[in-house]
Amino acid sequence: MVSRRRARGYSLMEIVVVMALFGVFLFILVTLTAEMRRNEKKWPVNFFARPEVGSILARMRHDILDATSFPNNIDTYTQSPTSLIVYTIAPDRSSAETVVWDLSKPGEVHRKVYKANLPPTEWVARQAPIFICTVEPMVVLGQPTDEQEVHIQAVDKEGKVAIDQVFVPRPHA
Amino acid sequence: MRRSRGFSMAEVLVALAILAIVITTTIAMFAERTKRMREASETILAWQALSNEAELWRRVPFAQIDVASSQTFQSDLTVLTPLAPYTTVVKVDAPRADIRNVTLTIRWAAGREAHLAVARANTGGGNLW
Repeated sequence: MVSRRRARGYSLMEIVVVMALFGVFLFILVTLTAEMRRNEKKWPVNFFARPEVGSILARMRHDILDATSFPNNIDTYTQSPTSLIVYTIAPDRSSAETVVWDLSKPGEVHRKVYKANLPPTEWVARQAPIFICTVEPMVVLGQPTDEQEVHIQAVDKEGKVAIDQVFVPRPHA
Repeated sequence: MRRSRGFSMAEVLVALAILAIVITTTIAMFAERTKRMREASETILAWQALSNEAELWRRVPFAQIDVASSQTFQSDLTVLTPLAPYTTVVKVDAPRADIRNVTLTIRWAAGREAHLAVARANTGGGNLW
């Protein structure tokens, strides 16, 4: 059985209240969405939230801190922004090895280790951003020094700089 | 019979109150999460800049680490662009004649700031760590 009230429809007051509530929720939703979009546009992607990126930077930092030189080429690789070649102290601390960071493949970072006449070993990290590495003389108080620094950058799809790290080899005796 | 007459005012009010609590809580959680993510992004960017600057201050000759003069950041600060407007400060303290404490500070919007300190010792010329 349908009540008489329903059969007559809703009063103007009821419709106004429902519309007002709907309007408030809509306003909140639009405000939050706009805030999210503003944040997305302003901030670069937080690549550090990915464990692979932390792992890449930690290994790269270790190689560069222990580096004694940056050879121009090895095997098929040439020193460039997409392939970093580092001559560094090996983990056993009694020998040296040449490490190539191949950054040329989008989404992948390859770390190849060349040691004496042994076949190279390789470590690969996936889901990585596009890195660019440059080896350049370090400038301190406006003066270039004898030391070299490695500048590592990664930008997101919007072109915003998300990773910008400078690693400098430690002094070796 | 009761249902055919619709809901009472008390039922509607209780339902609205529950709905309001759920929606308010959800929105508050969402807003807090967004705020924390933004703060985390800010901190990560600031620490990258601080770390890069510290590498430079490790290598400034000891004699040129001047306590009196006001120093500024020397490294590339492109990574801090989203934090604009921001300020950078380098403060040097000399607790002993052969020690310099260099404190690097970045301040940005909403009164947030990040610090990193580098302790330098006079090694007699070499920049030993």
